[in-house]
Amino acid sequence: MSELLKGGEFLIREVSKDEVFTPEDLSSEQKQMMETTEQFIKNEVMPDVDAMDNSNHNFDLLVSHMKQAGELGLFSIYAPEEYDGLDLGLTTGACVVEKIAPAGSFSVAYAAHVGIGSLPLIYYGTKEQKEKYLPKLVSGEWIAAYCLTEPDAGTDALGMRAVAKLSDDGKYYILNGTKQFITNGSIADLYTVFAKTPEGEYVAFLVERNFEGVSVGREEDKMGIRGSSTAQIMFDNAKIPVENLLGKVGEGHKIAFQVLDEGRFVLGAAAVGAAKAALEDAVVYANDRKQFGMPLTKFGAIKEKIADMVSGIYSAESLAYRLAGLYDERVSTIDVGKDDPDYYKYYHKALEDYAVECSITKVYCSELLDKVADEVVQIYGGYGFIKEYPAERYYRDSRINRIFEGTNEINRYLVPGMLLKKGMKGELPLVQKAKEALDIMMTPSFEELDESVRFIKEKTLISNLKTMFLVLAGAAVQKYMDKIKNEQEVLFALADMAIGIFSMESAVLRADKVYDKVSDAKKKIFESAVKVATFNLNEDIAKAAKKAAYFVEEGDNLMAIISGIRRFTKYDASGLLQAKRELANYTIENAKYPF
Amino acid sequence: MKILVCVKQVPDMESKFKIDSSSKWYDQSDLVYKINEYDEYAAEEAVRLKEKVSGSELTVLSIGPERVKDAIRKVLAMGADKGIHILDNEEHLKDPFQKASAIAEYAKSENFDIIFTGLQSQDRGSAQLAPLLAGMLNYSFVSTVVAFENKEGYVEVARELEGGLRAKVKVKLPAVVACQLGLNTPRYPTLPNIMKAKRKELKTVNIEELLKVEPLIETEKVYFPERKAGGIVLEGKADEMADELIKILKEKTQVVK
Ligand SMILES: Cc1cc2nc3c(=O)[nH]c(=O)nc-3n(C[C@H](O)[C@H](O)[C@H](O)COP(=O)(O)OP(=O)(O)OC[C@H]3O[C@@H](n4cnc5c(N)ncnc54)[C@H](O)[C@@H]3O)c2cc1C
Ligand SMILES: Cc1cc2nc3c(=O)[nH]c(=O)nc-3n(C[C@H](O)[C@H](O)[C@H](O)COP(=O)(O)OP(=O)(O)OC[C@H]3O[C@@H](n4cnc5c(N)ncnc54)[C@H](O)[C@@H]3O)c2cc1C
Repeated sequence: MSELLKGGEFLIREVSKDEVFTPEDLSSEQKQMMETTEQFIKNEVMPDVDAMDNSNHNFDLLVSHMKQAGELGLFSIYAPEEYDGLDLGLTTGACVVEKIAPAGSFSVAYAAHVGIGSLPLIYYGTKEQKEKYLPKLVSGEWIAAYCLTEPDAGTDALGMRAVAKLSDDGKYYILNGTKQFITNGSIADLYTVFAKTPEGEYVAFLVERNFEGVSVGREEDKMGIRGSSTAQIMFDNAKIPVENLLGKVGEGHKIAFQVLDEGRFVLGAAAVGAAKAALEDAVVYANDRKQFGMPLTKFGAIKEKIADMVSGIYSAESLAYRLAGLYDERVSTIDVGKDDPDYYKYYHKALEDYAVECSITKVYCSELLDKVADEVVQIYGGYGFIKEYPAERYYRDSRINRIFEGTNEINRYLVPGMLLKKGMKGELPLVQKAKEALDIMMTPSFEELDESVRFIKEKTLISNLKTMFLVLAGAAVQKYMDKIKNEQEVLFALADMAIGIFSMESAVLRADKVYDKVSDAKKKIFESAVKVATFNLNEDIAKAAKKAAYFVEEGDNLMAIISGIRRFTKYDASGLLQAKRELANYTIENAKYPF
Repeated sequence: MKILVCVKQVPDMESKFKIDSSSKWYDQSDLVYKINEYDEYAAEEAVRLKEKVSGSELTVLSIGPERVKDAIRKVLAMGADKGIHILDNEEHLKDPFQKASAIAEYAKSENFDIIFTGLQSQDRGSAQLAPLLAGMLNYSFVSTVVAFENKEGYVEVARELEGGLRAKVKVKLPAVVACQLGLNTPRYPTLPNIMKAKRKELKTVNIEELLKVEPLIETEKVYFPERKAGGIVLEGKADEMADELIKILKEKTQVVK
């Protein structure tokens, strides 16, 4: 096997099936944890989801289910063992959150608690801080929240105004400021708060709810996830003991952004779980609902919706678990032991390397979920618009995912940004690869496809799309040089290409990897999912590529690139209708997501 | 106390079943498997008993292909101490007599005080294994158990009878107890316990080592029953529909003469 794939490297080299982790590779323990979580959500939480949503900001039910989740160990995934955690890694984190996700509001409370709420302490806490707080967070006795956003500093989080000034006796920081939209705001006992010193250095604090000068503001009245708490947290000369400084002075922003990376990945995995649940509800409904004397699932229009949803979820799931596998594998190669004080430094270096893939996961999965939720409403028809049916809640709950944990704009912006940075630092040979790509594009090829290779059409397409991406990225950089960061339209088009390529590749390589191990019937379903996903993604990529070309080039160069795009986005999707029907029929017959 | 619980792995009953090519069983590919529901109650009761009586040891046993280890692991995560996997890739072709014999062969030297099983399996539904096992081991046997209490030297159970009745029954040990749905509320294995279970002993024994008998019954074929004709929906004006209905009742039933 080749060396472990580096962040962003998927765009410049061919990746083989043995390099991807797939959901089919999950361990028996991981599957059992999924089963425990699924049963808990289905039997205990789902029956209360409507009541939680309509509770008018009474969070008793939410909190009681959070405590139950704590008893089951659902908060123990990331914490080290000496603080009652299990330290199981991001793949397990994805497994569990996927099963929690159908419960909308509860899922957001959960993710904010175990993810962005608890991770700063796990990564940067001192021994004393961890001993004091972490077991409480792991058991669910205390609930955590993450306070970065301010009324005037959202996407531009570093524009924060909250100020922390060391007291004259050096024992306290005096914290002033307002944090906006804080998930778990009303139910949390411990807030991780980010602020600046008067000298302008970023700092992070572990702030207990009961500290003097801390107060919780009004709950927001939201479109979705209405059963979760989102409130302002105010600090009015709040006295924070110096022992509660998290990390070092000047490290605050690093802490804030590092946990967001993982938050984004977890959000992607959660979106996959929510999409599956919504799809399955819709299929069950459509099997039951008759119009024109037959179930809705007999109509081609509904079948096509189902096929598109299934193939989309399949790609999202494939890419999320692929990234999880990369993360865990990279983390497992860290040389120092877990008890080394610098362990988490290495850990972050490992994760940081995949920031591109992480943003891709966040964007692709959250947008896929929105599409699914929209089609699910449509399948329910008028009943999709009515609160009594589940489609309406899925539709409202899904929307926030494109906004928080970094808006999808900022995540799109980051994708080419981080790639170019890696290129500049010499971590990825982008310049050279772009040159090679241009040569490939300018050289006519009459090579025949080797039909004996499984998924050869898709693999060839992926390789061509990478070439196209490199050509366009190269052209853009050549034109704008270091001013490219101001050309968001161009960057976004490149981001969309990268997102599509990573998704397509993940979908294809997963099918390729598991193909020999599945039944004949399943083989066909994998083939169909690959065909539908590849076709859909390729259409999106081709559009983004053309956009980028028109944005960047003109004259002869433009014409050359446009014809290159035509050539390199060619995909023979013969049998597409058949594939869609097979995928839909299999899903309809089993009334379940098929993978 | 030495306690054994026998669990079977069965497909999710909401699956779409197909008959396999031999016509002797359903097609096992692409099914999602879980613990037989009855056995979950048996497992829970066994774990409770183990937790109550200090010094007890609980073993969980399952017969079947490699995949049934998942069922064993789940019960280990619920609280069992060790697992026995009787590896048999053709478990579905064995009759209850053979399976009971294999378990008895294993259990006879272990001297269990009590053996819990489910009342029946959700797929085969023969409900024969537990009574056969009790007979072979010469243990007491009690079935359709909906309440269980351990007393000094015996156990007291409630049995579900027909007609909404229940019977309180004293059972001498050693005994085989076949559990009915609703006996208790099976726990969800917690994440820490799932991880702990990974380190518990799980031994595999080949079915050939334990199976010494020929089947007594043979399944000739499995099949879907023919569908009964669907109902008739009458449409039209009310008085016409009433006439039509009377006509049908006269022709096809004894209700209207
Ligand atoms: C329900 C909910 C829960 C939340 N939970 C938390 C929490 O627990 N902790 C926390 O700290 N925050 C939380 N947030 C805040 C959330 O992270 C922010 O809302 C988000 O970062 C966007 O900031 P904003 O709302 O100020 O929008 P703005 O920053 O004003 O953005 C508005 C629009 O402009 C775009 N935009 C902004 N800057 C750029 C740019 N440079 N280039 C291109 N486009 C740009 C954005 O993408 C967006 O589309 C939560 C928000 C909500 C609604
Ligand atoms: C807020 C609201 C206000 C309304 N106001 C009125 C009103 O004032 N008067 C009134 O009479 N009605 C009204 N309606 C009803 C509305 O017109 C219906 O909801 C709509 O026609 C869809 O019917 P349905 O809800 O039964 O969905 P269904 O007919 O069950 O359709 C469900 C899904 O199946 C699809 N589908 C159904 N049949 C086929 C087919 N043959 N081929 C392909 N796809 C198919 C549909 O397109 C849809 O996506 C209202 C509905 C709502 C929600």
